[in-house]
Amino acid sequence: MSTLVLRNVGKRYSTHQVIDGLNLEIHSGEFVSLLGPSGCGKTTLLRIIAGLTQCDDGEVLLDGNDITDLAPHKRGVGVVFQNYALFPHLNVYENIAFGLKAKRLDAEAIDAEVKQALLSVQMSQFSDRSVAGLSGGQQQRIAVARALATKPKLILLDEPLSALDRKLREAMQIELKHLLRDAGMTAVFVTHDQEEALVMSDRIAVMNKGIIEQLDLPERVYARPKTAFVLNFVGLSAQWHGSICSQGLDLMTIKLGEASIDCPTQVGMSVGSPVLIGVRPERIRVQAVMDELESPIDSLVDIAPDRKINKIRMTVRELVFRGSNTLCYLDSALAGEVPIIVELSANTTYTPQVGEGVDLVWAVRDTLIFSLDPVACNS
Amino acid sequence: MKYKKIKRSIAWLALPGVGFLSLVFVVPLLALLATSLIGPDNHFTLSGYVSFFSDKFNFGVLSNTLKIATWVTLICLLIGYCVAFAMASASPLIQAIMFLIFIIPLSVGVVVKAFAWTILLRSNGLVNRILISMGIADEPLKLLFTESGLIIGAVHVFLPFMVLPIFAVVRQLDHRLAEAASTLGANPVRTFVKITLPLTLPGVVAGCSFVFSMTLSMYVIPSLLIGDRYQTLPGLIARAYLFMRDRQNGSVMAVLLLSMAIAAVVLSALITRQLQRSQKTLASSV
Repeated sequence: MSTLVLRNVGKRYSTHQVIDGLNLEIHSGEFVSLLGPSGCGKTTLLRIIAGLTQCDDGEVLLDGNDITDLAPHKRGVGVVFQNYALFPHLNVYENIAFGLKAKRLDAEAIDAEVKQALLSVQMSQFSDRSVAGLSGGQQQRIAVARALATKPKLILLDEPLSALDRKLREAMQIELKHLLRDAGMTAVFVTHDQEEALVMSDRIAVMNKGIIEQLDLPERVYARPKTAFVLNFVGLSAQWHGSICSQGLDLMTIKLGEASIDCPTQVGMSVGSPVLIGVRPERIRVQAVMDELESPIDSLVDIAPDRKINKIRMTVRELVFRGSNTLCYLDSALAGEVPIIVELSANTTYTPQVGEGVDLVWAVRDTLIFSLDPVACNS
Repeated sequence: MKYKKIKRSIAWLALPGVGFLSLVFVVPLLALLATSLIGPDNHFTLSGYVSFFSDKFNFGVLSNTLKIATWVTLICLLIGYCVAFAMASASPLIQAIMFLIFIIPLSVGVVVKAFAWTILLRSNGLVNRILISMGIADEPLKLLFTESGLIIGAVHVFLPFMVLPIFAVVRQLDHRLAEAASTLGANPVRTFVKITLPLTLPGVVAGCSFVFSMTLSMYVIPSLLIGDRYQTLPGLIARAYLFMRDRQNGSVMAVLLLSMAIAAVVLSALITRQLQRSQKTLASSV
């Protein structure tokens, strides 16, 4: 049972700041994903934790011990590499036994451990196979078994599923999650696949440009992104640019050309400052255009803030059928560069036609708002 | 089915090469073998081999030849292995420069290089002057016309043939394998012995067989750097042909030399095949 603490970790390559004063605390037995686009420093961070790369600033603590300058083979940190890095000249059994032999266990103990490790990944019958003859999924299992066999304090996984095809990847996500949970292993999982991170993690650290933008539960990262980057990187969202035109105690009103959107008041934003509005597609209901008089909710003035709704009129540009749902691309003068996309669930009774005008309706409390004011961003 | 057809049609392309080689290599070598088995009276005889192995002097020559070849191979391996790793991890520019450093001297004749070493190695040569001015030696070391001088010169000439095959393997080596070994708790020595060395062995075997067989058969370098008093097999062969006019004796020694060189190459080919069988291909797992 281990805790990993990163304090103010920094890493430069010549002038490029790859990791920038990063802080992270991972609890014992926790599965944390480092999620970010390529080049955000997530793999570098993983290598720093494993000791394969030296950090320039800060310190790495494992179970309270400073391991910043410790060689990788003395850390007890297991790594599953992206390409698995299985030893091609050793067979499956010898690959798993490698770490145990390095620990100078006696032959009997090694044999028992290897068999146990093979059993845990359901690969017992492959014991004396050459690793080159294994499929991607099998190699992946062996790589995990090899890392777990040495009983590391912490296991790091560097996009271990990215080389697998979609079906296998989804099966392995669950399998890997259970395997690590059953072993009570603290795990750091690097991925650029947001779905993978949402499925597997206890917590997600969304990384961008060498810092962690948000470290939170998967549900909160998705539903309550802290920054515009997180909103964009995790999941789809309908987005509008606007500026705050009035600010009340509970609600603010944002002007989008001629239309306006209400959202919960946030501290640190002032009237007139530019903002980005985001709404998750499944929060938006698409309905046929109704006249103001027919619309019952809008006519009520005194309505509790958490029950208020926003409504925007747009034109359907394209419908994309995706099996479980249909994506509806919308056009409007209000939309920015990013097309507005909403989800039409399969059980909806109303299906709009391309070219038709529709109303987008969503609850005010589901409106996400991000300041685009450079000053506010920095604060 | 289709693939086999293509393969067969391509095999014809080897004909000119095979024809040329059989003309200039196989036929003369058969003639050589025949000469070694034919006595002065034009009859089949093993007397050439019998007389060669009954002369104790020849065993001394054989052991000199093998000793020098072994030393040169070992020193080339030691230097070449390190250099190949440095080269593989260097930046592209440095790598290109190092590559040139090893390739360009190949275009200079062996005679020129050996002669250059006679100048460098003599008692008032550059090597001795440097050693003395650095305080490593108090008086000029005798390097020219010694085994050490011969080994120095031969290592210089044959080093590229060790570096290049090892470099070719090291360049393809996945450095993550060594990293994986370290995260599994293996210290650097263990990682090298158990992972890096076995995976680079094909390059080592190829380099060693090149250098060993070339050093066995070198003639110009010993004749310039150590002279007649220290005999190696190629020198003896030349003497038998050129001075003694004893074609049978010369052929016997040439066949023996050839057998040793072939043995080295065949052995290394067998080792390489064995290694490849046990690890399949390096690339397929990446």
